[in-house]
Amino acid sequence: MAKTLFEWDYADYPGAKTYPHLFKPIQIGNLMVPNRIKYAATEDNLNGHDGFVTDAGVEYMRQRAIGVVGGLCFMQGVYMDPKRQGQGYVGQAACWDDKFIPGLKRICDAIHKAKAVAGFQLMDCGRVGAVEVDYCHGPSAVPQRLRIFKPVEEMTNADVKTMIQQHADAARRGVEAGFDIMEISGIVGYLISNFISSYTNRRTDEYGGDLRGRMQAVVEIIQGVKDVCGSDVPVGIRLCSEELLDDVRGNTPEESMETYKIAEEAGADYISCTLGWQESIYPVISRDIPMGNWIHLAKRAKEHVSIPVQMAYRLFKPELPNEKIGAGELDQWEICRSMIADPHMPKKVAEGKETEIRHCVACNLCLARLFRDAPMTCYINPVCAHEWQQEFANPKPAEEEKEVMIVGAGPAGLECAYMAASRGHEVHVYDKRDVIGGTLNEAKNAPYGDDELWTCIEYQKVMCEKAGVNFHLGTEVTDDLIEDEMPDTVVLATGPAYSKIEAPGGDSDKIVNLLDVMSDKAEVGETVVMYGNRKPGIGCALHLAKQGKKVTIVGKEKSAGFDVNPSFKWRYMIYMRQNGITVYNDCDIDEITDEGVVVKAYDGIRWPIKCDTVVVSDRGPNESLKKTVQSEGIELFVIGDALIPRNLSSAVHDGYRIGIRL
Amino acid sequence: MLVDTEKEITKMHRMLYSTRNEIGKTYYRWRQVAVELAGDNVKPLDVSLRAAEVFGKDIGKSFLPRMNWLKGEEGFLMILAKSLAGLWNTEGGLATIEKGEKPGEIKIKCLRDPWPTWAKEYGAPMEEVAVCRERMYQTILEDVSAFMNVPLKIELQKAIARGEGETVMTLSKVE
Ligand SMILES: Cc1cc2nc3c(=O)[nH]c(=O)nc-3n(C[C@H](O)[C@H](O)[C@H](O)COP(=O)(O)OP(=O)(O)OC[C@H]3O[C@@H](n4cnc5c(N)ncnc54)[C@H](O)[C@@H]3O)c2cc1C
Ligand SMILES: Cc1cc2nc3c(=O)[nH]c(=O)nc-3n(C[C@H](O)[C@H](O)[C@H](O)COP(=O)(O)O)c2cc1C
Ligand code: SF4
Repeated sequence: MAKTLFEWDYADYPGAKTYPHLFKPIQIGNLMVPNRIKYAATEDNLNGHDGFVTDAGVEYMRQRAIGVVGGLCFMQGVYMDPKRQGQGYVGQAACWDDKFIPGLKRICDAIHKAKAVAGFQLMDCGRVGAVEVDYCHGPSAVPQRLRIFKPVEEMTNADVKTMIQQHADAARRGVEAGFDIMEISGIVGYLISNFISSYTNRRTDEYGGDLRGRMQAVVEIIQGVKDVCGSDVPVGIRLCSEELLDDVRGNTPEESMETYKIAEEAGADYISCTLGWQESIYPVISRDIPMGNWIHLAKRAKEHVSIPVQMAYRLFKPELPNEKIGAGELDQWEICRSMIADPHMPKKVAEGKETEIRHCVACNLCLARLFRDAPMTCYINPVCAHEWQQEFANPKPAEEEKEVMIVGAGPAGLECAYMAASRGHEVHVYDKRDVIGGTLNEAKNAPYGDDELWTCIEYQKVMCEKAGVNFHLGTEVTDDLIEDEMPDTVVLATGPAYSKIEAPGGDSDKIVNLLDVMSDKAEVGETVVMYGNRKPGIGCALHLAKQGKKVTIVGKEKSAGFDVNPSFKWRYMIYMRQNGITVYNDCDIDEITDEGVVVKAYDGIRWPIKCDTVVVSDRGPNESLKKTVQSEGIELFVIGDALIPRNLSSAVHDGYRIGIRL
Repeated sequence: MLVDTEKEITKMHRMLYSTRNEIGKTYYRWRQVAVELAGDNVKPLDVSLRAAEVFGKDIGKSFLPRMNWLKGEEGFLMILAKSLAGLWNTEGGLATIEKGEKPGEIKIKCLRDPWPTWAKEYGAPMEEVAVCRERMYQTILEDVSAFMNVPLKIELQKAIARGEGETVMTLSKVE
């Protein structure tokens, strides 16, 4: 009889009727899990640099545990070697000694408190490891493709055996800390996958050679971990369903499926289907990859093994996993980034509150932060990693109710509005547009997935309605209106002021604004110069190039898209090349002529570019209305692009911070 | 104000030449420092060869992200040879690639090489130029070979020390 840890009855949850397959139990090994939801292990860099768990880490996990409504909740992968070669992140949790057990137990207890199943993950980062030491380790010393990673030291036969034992020892510590289910992470180019891949394993001992040989260490790890876990604690493994390493002669998809079968034979109780390596040249989880793009791989996995198959990878909405589980093509829905962005995401699905979900926009800032040794941050969720700071995560009601005028219904204004209103202020949001959403009305029309940015506005709209925010759309706020209303506080969320081209010809009728272009209000010729090389300019340039226009970007920044985080920026560079866009960085427009523009580089070199239209995307801070508010002695805040033109993330974070401060 | 295209191109051209010239000379200035610090017991050629190894190691690393097996062995060797020739061209050489006589062999030919001129100016031995390039390329190949699991070699076939005529190297797989 399978063991049930916590009783859950979803009969009263509306979401369980809409998505019945997500809320039915599943047996994994000898453990009965009440639903099909799993918070997948997520490194957060919130632990001490010595590997000990912190309050920040515990509270981060507590919220995710509440979110899975009784399902699986995995803590981040722990490293297991005292030499710290397997440590991939400065704030990764450690488990190479019993001294770490009490801290790990705190996380486990927090998960249990939410009546969720606590998952422990073993993760030696292999080629991607050694953040604090000089050499990482691997089956063979294959040079690193990316300079950010440390050189690889080949493990001796004895090293391999020690590493296998370290997995078993760490698993034992996890069980002692109280965890209910164990997972071995063979994801994205970490040690397990290094052993399996023909790209990185060139060994000639029993841990190399053909696929069976390359799987030998994995088999021994599974068996060793199973021995210490016993029959009550199931053991699963995350393995690549496709390495996406054809360019460097990695495993074929057929070989990957063979690894699944070998893992099952070795005793794995489930497989988590992963995809790609950090070294792969193909994108896997960024916004340009459509949601559900990879789900067919779970179906293929199920054709090869009979144990449960779990999968994540751009499954941000419940419909598809529900459908695929119903069709027998998937067993459990794994969620990572959607629960970074909204820790209670599946709970809201269960409660029928899907419109209240703050959706991940697949920007990969969270990952980029980890690689820069910074604590986890989310682009769209200001509370992420601050869950332990009560005054920030759950701000108190305002001591004194104020009448707050927010000028601008873009993401900054809306975020501020619902936070302030939910704390008891009387909030009035004005926008000269007839619709909410600000610049995102135009930004969402850019290609490669930017329509997903709009989910932020959908969420904020619902939250504003819930908090009782008053809207005055189609109303431009003027100095007179401020003087008439005389609110207690004014928040200027008016967005940026678009730059004027000061050069000769700056009044040419060739010049149009990018917002008019993005909303098809401006007439644009066949050859275009985009003025401004940040993301808005790039998005608009791609939008025009997709219509067959020849676009040249001219911008003052030293590198195009410097405002896009590095984990995503490389995609835009490729798309610009593919769409024939020429980019001149570190340049300005020196003149606008009848034929086009004259570009001037930083060193004074000038050259002409023919064009029919010049689109202005360059922006500066917005100074309007400030003086009046200040001269009336009204409390003033400036947020979002009006303060300094940046991006959606800064707009949301600014809005939240001021919303809890008013 | 219209752009005087000829004037702008001349300006750019001059800048490109002087930049290359300065980079070449900087190498020899540093070589001088290294030779002096190394002392009388170390041959200047050994210093230069060591520099070629250090350069090669770093350049080899920068090649790895571009290495690609999707077009098979021949395609891979062509990309690699192009990158090696491209390096020479960036420095002011005139290098091309072509298929060699034997299967799987690619020739890198350089008709014009600015290094011997600088070498002469700084009193560095002539013969080291081609030898150092061979050593640098060999070191580049070390990481590329290990990365792709394909042993590769480069051999100097013909070297014209004064930078006129033709320098020829062959790139191939170690059988
Ligand atoms: C093509 C394009 C692509 C982009 N791509 C991205 C991206 O990929 N990622 C990203 O993070 N960001 C992107 N951005 C930028 C992002 O849209 C902005 O940073 C964000 O919208 C700023 O939010 P905000 O609330 O500060 O200002 P805005 O969204 O500009 O909102 C300001 C609002 O104030 C209103 N307003 C101004 N003055 C008054 C007044 N006097 N009275 C009443 N109302 C007034 C305006 O009508 C507007 O609705 C893109 C932008 C564009 C144009
Ligand atoms: C910030 C971050 C940290 C991650 N840390 C881990 C980890 O510790 N162990 C692991 O197996 N996978 C880790 N992953 C991979 C995720 O578990 C997940 O498989 C991947 O993000 C795809 O799912 P998603 O599209 O729902 O984000 C991490 C992913 C992110 C974005
Ligand atoms: S940082 Fe970006 S990718 Fe990561 S969870 Fe937040 S919105 Fe999603």
